[in-house]
Amino acid sequence: MKPVKIEKKHVVYTLIVVVFIVASSFIPGFLSIRNIMNIVRQSSIIAICACGMTMVIIIKGIDLSVTGMLSFCAMINGLLLLQGWPIPVAMIIGLAAGTVLGVFNGFMVDTLGIPAFITTLVVGNVGGGLALLLNEGRSIGGFPDAYVFMGNGTILGVPVSNYIMAIFVIGTSVIMAKTRLGVYVYAMGGNETVVKQQGISTSMINYFVYGFSGFCIAMAGILLSGQLDTVHPTQGEPYQLDAIAACVIGGVSMLGGEGKVYFSLIGALIIGVQRNILNLLGIHPFYQNIFVGIIIIVIVAINIFKKNRAIELSKVF
Amino acid sequence: MHSADNSQIKDIPSVISNALRKFVKANGSVVIFLILWIVASVFVRNFFSIENMLLIIKQAAIPTIACLGITVVLMTGGIDLSLGYTLGLCSISVGLFVKSFGLPIWLSIVLTLLIGIAVGLFNGVLVQYVRVPAFITTLGSGFIIFGLAQIISSGSDINRLPPAFRAIGITEFGGLNTTVVIAIVTCLVMYYVLHRSTFGRALAAFGFNNRTARMSGIKTERINVMAYVICSFLVAIAAILLTIRVNCAQPTMGGGVYTFEVITGAIIGGASLFGGVGTVIGSVFGILIVKIIENCINLLNVSYYTYQAFQGIVILLAIIFENVKNRKL
Amino acid sequence: MKKTILEMREITKYIFDAFGHALRGSTVRILDSVDFDVKEAEVHVLIGENGAGKSTLMKILGGIIPPDGGTMKLDGKEISFSGPRESLHHGIGFIHQELNLCLNLDVAQNIFLGREIGKKLFIDKKNMYARSSEMLAKLGFDIDPHTLVRDLSTAQQQIIEIVKVLSYDCRIIIMDEPTASLTSTEIEKLFEIIKELQKKGISIIYISHRFEELKEIGDRITVLRDGKYIGTVPIEEFDYDQIINMMVGRKLGAMYQCHHVPTTEKVLEVKNLKIASHTKPIDLYVNKGEVVGLSGLVGSGRTELAKSIFGSRTYFGGTIRYDGQVIKKVHPSQLIAKGLVYLSEDRKLEGLVLEMPIAHNITLASLPRLFPKTNIHRGKERTVALKGVRDLNIISNSLDQLCNTLSGGNQQKVVLAKWLLTEPKVLILDEPTRGIDVNAKSEIYRIIDRLASEGVGILMISSELPEIIGMSDRVYVMRNGTISAELTEKEDFDQEKILSYTLG
Repeated sequence: MKPVKIEKKHVVYTLIVVVFIVASSFIPGFLSIRNIMNIVRQSSIIAICACGMTMVIIIKGIDLSVTGMLSFCAMINGLLLLQGWPIPVAMIIGLAAGTVLGVFNGFMVDTLGIPAFITTLVVGNVGGGLALLLNEGRSIGGFPDAYVFMGNGTILGVPVSNYIMAIFVIGTSVIMAKTRLGVYVYAMGGNETVVKQQGISTSMINYFVYGFSGFCIAMAGILLSGQLDTVHPTQGEPYQLDAIAACVIGGVSMLGGEGKVYFSLIGALIIGVQRNILNLLGIHPFYQNIFVGIIIIVIVAINIFKKNRAIELSKVF
Repeated sequence: MHSADNSQIKDIPSVISNALRKFVKANGSVVIFLILWIVASVFVRNFFSIENMLLIIKQAAIPTIACLGITVVLMTGGIDLSLGYTLGLCSISVGLFVKSFGLPIWLSIVLTLLIGIAVGLFNGVLVQYVRVPAFITTLGSGFIIFGLAQIISSGSDINRLPPAFRAIGITEFGGLNTTVVIAIVTCLVMYYVLHRSTFGRALAAFGFNNRTARMSGIKTERINVMAYVICSFLVAIAAILLTIRVNCAQPTMGGGVYTFEVITGAIIGGASLFGGVGTVIGSVFGILIVKIIENCINLLNVSYYTYQAFQGIVILLAIIFENVKNRKL
Repeated sequence: MKKTILEMREITKYIFDAFGHALRGSTVRILDSVDFDVKEAEVHVLIGENGAGKSTLMKILGGIIPPDGGTMKLDGKEISFSGPRESLHHGIGFIHQELNLCLNLDVAQNIFLGREIGKKLFIDKKNMYARSSEMLAKLGFDIDPHTLVRDLSTAQQQIIEIVKVLSYDCRIIIMDEPTASLTSTEIEKLFEIIKELQKKGISIIYISHRFEELKEIGDRITVLRDGKYIGTVPIEEFDYDQIINMMVGRKLGAMYQCHHVPTTEKVLEVKNLKIASHTKPIDLYVNKGEVVGLSGLVGSGRTELAKSIFGSRTYFGGTIRYDGQVIKKVHPSQLIAKGLVYLSEDRKLEGLVLEMPIAHNITLASLPRLFPKTNIHRGKERTVALKGVRDLNIISNSLDQLCNTLSGGNQQKVVLAKWLLTEPKVLILDEPTRGIDVNAKSEIYRIIDRLASEGVGILMISSELPEIIGMSDRVYVMRNGTISAELTEKEDFDQEKILSYTLG
């Protein structure tokens, strides 16, 4: 009676293999180490956002504040840099801004009981508005060399961005796999009642998860500004959908409780590869949005369909 | 044993104060609007003038139409994050139809409205039958629609639309224009639909408690899909009018910012994110409040960007307020 | 003589909301001065019909809801709990019927959730999994603690719950119908564990409906009925008839009025209907002007049967014939238009729109009929609603009063008014008197009788046997998703008899 089990990871692996085979056979120059490193570098922004997003989705939430918050944190950091503040201090302030807004998201979701999608949408919009306001809607650029090195430089032939991404992915993964907090995050996605019964504070988990997501978004924004040597108040926009898509492609279930950061990383890379291929083929980026939009809806629909069927099958008398 | 509806007539002041309290409770946005209006009239130079008032009304007309659309969706307990992108798609479509293809005006408009309906059907069917949460569906479909709009426009705008087409929206009379008239007509129609028709009743019941609604013989599936269709249809109307107003069909018209402004209006107007609650009067005044704030920020010569940040804070307060109010009950 | 470790005295609880707080001004007692005690290393069985108060009593003991009166003593010391966790720390573990596990976590993570082994933030995985294996092995189970709980069978999941509870050094374990979804071999295994636990001096409170189980593992049996303590019997004195007698009592009174005379004209007929793929087919019919009782335990498939008929649930084969026509794959709206309606057992989730006024709720199911042109005529709506309010004697301030401010009985009458307004020919009532006070109950019985006199066919689902016996012309009994008996003669209606078909 047991239906054939198609695990999400198999889908992800297949997808990435297919994409690579197709890409490398059609596109000259795709399989060069340089191109691949470049893809990873471009994907690092998505991947870092996806670290926080993975956690948020695991607890059945969603973070729609990427759009505004990414630019906002980068803008604060950038303006401070241009004012001559030391790089670490400016970065810390930028990261702190993201974390604070993230924790505020957690507060709205947990303590006020407002749905995550609207909370984060609103907070993101406030962030986006502030990003515009801070510099009257103008872009800034011309950051110190050391800062730009973080975005574009390489160490031992590997872009610095990739190291930062690795730190985030590994760090998140350690939190999720090795610490109490990680177990609680999964538990809360699985069965919130049990978590409460065990005397674990769900508020603490909410604050942490949304705060962490804000932190990741801030880091992504800062890194992006380093890569481009520019901060534009609306440059966060494309990353909203990409971050969610990375998680969803990586098998993080919108129904909560499921997902691994490594797979989200693969999801981010798939999106990066997809963009890269379409660019190399000269296909307009507009199609990419359509593709990503469809993929999110389809994968979530499949998850929900499977869950509904499992509920049907589990009924007994 | 006493039954319903024989409340004794009490002394008249208490009747009035009760009625007033009831009105304030049901139409908080009207009260906020009046307060804002008085405050602005006193403190903001050049605010209190007929011209300025008419300007605000003109500016509010188009978002009001879209806001009534999102109100219907909010009443189901869903949300439409693709609204702003649908606006862009409809804008570029009508521009293409009327100028590039040179179709008759009426046909262009009908086709554009059909596109709106198609988008609504797409969203509604996904939400109702595939059971993908509304915010995911519409987030995804928003990007799809945005992509489509860009592709059919090849990324460029269409300027200088035919005057006969523009006349639909900009013909002036008595200080107002046809756009305002269309908005008012839309409000009246939507008032009937939401507050006087069986559809509106069924919609509210569905939004509050979809299981009871279904068990009471309401065709909830149809209601849910219809809500998205109505929303996108109204957005298509708004798109046509906005295209006329700026005399330019743009695929990037609207966007996330516009969605947000419209949702802000509805929420300030008292529509609940949890479904069931939403009124035409509330949403109209919600948009008016948004526009008064925008107007004051203009008049005060403050950066426009302040407005965007401020708008976020206003909706934040509105949501928190609504939540706190509901908790007390 | 074994030592008594837990004593509960005169526990009282009024009808409560989802948070366990007593409903405002309510006088309905779910528990009325109930006494209960547990001795060391015994299996104390708690039985009673649905709604007798077993779960409520156990929820109080488990710290899930607070009592409104009475005292609890553990080892002679008075105790009170502010939450389930506190109860657990006093050594009382609660294994719910719906297991409280995180299906997406593995066995060890579930056992140690909230008290992971390790320093500060980091978990000492090696140690934790080793401890888990050890604990499982102690009970004689070979389950890999790395397995996801989702991949375990229900019985294995139950074992995880037991292990989890034991790891808190529990001395009393509450098991709420633990065998409900187990196979017979799994049940044997469970009994072995229970006996094992008993040897270790752990007491078990065991809630069940299955008599054969009770004899096998029970030491004492306590019977509750209608929220009252009836008595405690040692297993040696177990007598089937006596226990059933204690469960049902004698309380048929003048509350029930039966003036209606059933006809023999079938209005609803169900043939070979299967409510699930593996259940036996169901045959059932209702005549015009007849009140048919449908008895059975909660979870025996009564509600599923009703919902299958009403078109709000998919079923597995069979035909439903209503008013001479076969109905198939219909939406509730079509049936309502034809005059077949269903009053749900859950009036808050499926009966009322609590946030809407009385008038709107009453007309909700009749909107297309009342206002075919889609235009809601307020005057007409109020007239119709007012008639409903007067007919059913709904006590309220005005037609605009929101339903969430009404008492349970009046809420139920609003739902009834809604259905009566549709002018039904067949009325399926699912627990029509649950959670409402005595006056409202007798009023509802009067209405049912009146409707039957007017020729409406009524199928009444109920857990209350006196109600079934008092009102019905014919009775079906359901068990395990199918009908286990049909009683056609009024003389056959007898609580003991029905109960024996119910329990099997």
